[in-house]
Amino acid sequence: MEEKEITVNIKKYNDKDGAFWKSYKLKADKYTQMTEVLRRIKSEQDPSLAYRASCHMAVCGSCSMKINGIPSLACRTIALQAVDEKNEINVESMDYYPGVRDLITDIDVFYDKMYKVMPRLIADESVLMGENEQRMTPENQTEVWKFQECIYCGLCVSACPSVKEDEQFLGPAAHAKGFRFVDDVRDTKRSERLDLLMDSAYRCTSCYMCYEVCPQDVQPVIAIKKTKNYLDQYKGNTPITIMARKHDDTVENLIETTGKIKESTLFLKTFGFGEAMRDAIDMLKSGKFKYAFEKDSNVKNMNEIKGMMGEKK
Amino acid sequence: MEKKEYDAVILGGGLAGLMAANIVAAAGFSVAVVSKVFPTRSHSAAAEGGIAAYMMGNSDPNDDPDFMSYDEVKGGDYLVDQDAAELLSKKSGEIVSLLDAWGAPFNRQPDGRIALRYFGGQTYPRTRFIADKTGMALLHTLFEHSTGFKNIEYYNEYYVLDIVKEGNNVNGLVAMEMKTLNPIYLKSRALLIASGGIGMMYKHTTNSYINTGDGQGIALRSGVALKDPEFVQFHPTGLYPSDILISEAARAEGAILKNNKGERFMAKYAPHKFDLAPRDIVSRSMTIEIREGRGFEGGYLGLDLRHLGKKYIMERLALAYDAAKNFSGVDASEEMIPVRPAQHYFMGGIDVDTTGTNHDLNGIFSAGESACVSVHGANRLGSNSLLETVVYGRETGNTMVEFLKTHKNVETNSNVEPIIDAAYAYIKRETGEHFGVLTEELRDIMWDNVGIFRDNDKLAEAVSKIKDLRVRAKSMYVTDKTSNYNTELFNALETRNMLDVAYTMATAALNRKETRGAHFRDDFPERDDKNWMKHTITYLAGDEVKISYKPVTYTRWKPEVRVY
Repeated sequence: MEEKEITVNIKKYNDKDGAFWKSYKLKADKYTQMTEVLRRIKSEQDPSLAYRASCHMAVCGSCSMKINGIPSLACRTIALQAVDEKNEINVESMDYYPGVRDLITDIDVFYDKMYKVMPRLIADESVLMGENEQRMTPENQTEVWKFQECIYCGLCVSACPSVKEDEQFLGPAAHAKGFRFVDDVRDTKRSERLDLLMDSAYRCTSCYMCYEVCPQDVQPVIAIKKTKNYLDQYKGNTPITIMARKHDDTVENLIETTGKIKESTLFLKTFGFGEAMRDAIDMLKSGKFKYAFEKDSNVKNMNEIKGMMGEKK
Repeated sequence: MEKKEYDAVILGGGLAGLMAANIVAAAGFSVAVVSKVFPTRSHSAAAEGGIAAYMMGNSDPNDDPDFMSYDEVKGGDYLVDQDAAELLSKKSGEIVSLLDAWGAPFNRQPDGRIALRYFGGQTYPRTRFIADKTGMALLHTLFEHSTGFKNIEYYNEYYVLDIVKEGNNVNGLVAMEMKTLNPIYLKSRALLIASGGIGMMYKHTTNSYINTGDGQGIALRSGVALKDPEFVQFHPTGLYPSDILISEAARAEGAILKNNKGERFMAKYAPHKFDLAPRDIVSRSMTIEIREGRGFEGGYLGLDLRHLGKKYIMERLALAYDAAKNFSGVDASEEMIPVRPAQHYFMGGIDVDTTGTNHDLNGIFSAGESACVSVHGANRLGSNSLLETVVYGRETGNTMVEFLKTHKNVETNSNVEPIIDAAYAYIKRETGEHFGVLTEELRDIMWDNVGIFRDNDKLAEAVSKIKDLRVRAKSMYVTDKTSNYNTELFNALETRNMLDVAYTMATAALNRKETRGAHFRDDFPERDDKNWMKHTITYLAGDEVKISYKPVTYTRWKPEVRVY
């Protein structure tokens, strides 16, 4: 098979020398995975190179790192597809997690978030005793499986801006994991789970970075949105969920009465006068305030809209 | 040095280890699970196709557990202990129900019951599955279930050096924290080895990089026997050229193997079962096709899924589709997937009975791929490895609970310094052999000489070469002298384990002068029930492999000719 020489630049790190870049040259063909590139560098050129890798087929989530700046699984990355015009590739450890050695980071903070969402099914006692059979529709299975496919690789948390700003945000992976059980018809603890997840769900900014980087297409941000759909069933109240309820009620009310979402009213009702004023000042500063006076026309087919809203209720 | 005491120490965080951990912890005993990776990185995650189970009221109406046992016995070419196979079949339904109750999201039938499909060597369809990532889903289920126990402590990214013995009793093990190289003595009266397979000693393998026979290696070094180590399974459909597994589920769902003439060549070798004949037969047939010039350039064959249609492929075989697309650049709905056989599974392992007990050391148990309960005999059927890990993981867990109830801790504080010194010696040495050189040589020898087709000359050469590698390994050294996640040291220690295990495998293969299941000898192409219907028992004594035999357990099935 045709081979091409490539240069792999790896950002190495150890306690003694700190961080430094080192380059390696080797040949790769059109099928060579980055895990194999690393294995060969280690075996043939630099035995001290440290990285994690296990299954090399994207189901174990070990080989998370940044390749050309993009959070990636090394095994899912084909070397010749990743090289630039000079046939070079840059490899670094993931962001956010503390570096340990070369490409290895300490992702305990990721695991801790996973443990926080009670990541296990609690079935009915009669099922556990073997007295009852659990059934599950194929549709429910498909939905649960979608979010269960998370492989604990940690890439989404490493890429998530909210996690870095807000310690109370559980992060994308834990939300996908938590929601997978909320949504499972076999589980008996939905209300406890909503207690764990609801407040945190509203700490997500819906930036979709997790959606972008997830190598399994788990779509954690969708799990977060779907969790919010359970707000009606959530019994607790935190400052964030109180605001969320106001927001939801206002949206519903506005649509019902005017057929549209009036941003200014929505803002005022959700955040209150003080917060709205503060934001109004920001808008003035940025020159966006003029849009608040834009005239809009009335919705004509209100009856149709009322009908649809009525159906929902 | 740090020392901690537990009732049970479990080496390995894969399916077998975690199932046992859940059982032992549920009985109230303290458990330490030691693994060189975080549990969900274990090789169990790579199992794709499914788990075989006869479920009462949810199986083919003609099926029953006896058919299942018969399939296992015949599939294993009559080297199966029939009591072990019967237990496996009998408990298969309830274990799947348990996994379901613990949250495993099995694929469903329209009425909400667990779905099933055919796998190779099955008389009736029995394989239960979760898309084609069954192992991953089950592993996560067991790991997540275990997070509910406060008395399970995880030692993730700890590398195990050796077993600690006091006389004939287990007294725990010594491990090293990989991040710091700090040694820790984990003292316990019960030790379960559930460390998985050995694939990395083969040049072409579907196994994870971590499958280096660590558990088998430390067992051999403490005087524990490996049973039937000559039996190694080669999976027919490793993706070319990366050797990533394309699940048997593909053929179960209707994919067909074709040679460069477009012929469905399995019709010639297995006129009844075709592409779903047991793996040893399909792998040999493929090797013959390639050897006789009917393969594609580069040495592979085609796996044809095109007639299944893209929608069906994406629903049932998403991983196979993705793997072919990402790693070989092939769209399986439009082109054939390039495949060739690759090492896949180790039928041999630590010699245990159907309770998971080894009788060489008091307090040592084994389950999963690292064990040999003899349910797979000379060749394992697809969907039975996952089943074995959970059924025998649970059986062994229950055995350990009984053992812990009746056995006190070994009082003595064993001297563990020599174990640690042996590991540090690789760092202290300034010159010598490098692990990479030894490993690459071993991987070539095992693939070329202890592979799909074997004979006296090849095997004798392998034994002598591995003997030589073991001598050279005594002067192995690592260039990295730091204690800062020194992966080079762990690679060296893995090489030591692989060499010890490979040595027994090659020696046992040379010794068995017949063809049975996956052990195919060109010079003895027939099965020889008169002389070889027996298990090989191997001990490692210094530089020698000592071989003895054990009878195969029969209950009801007499050996017959194995055709498919």
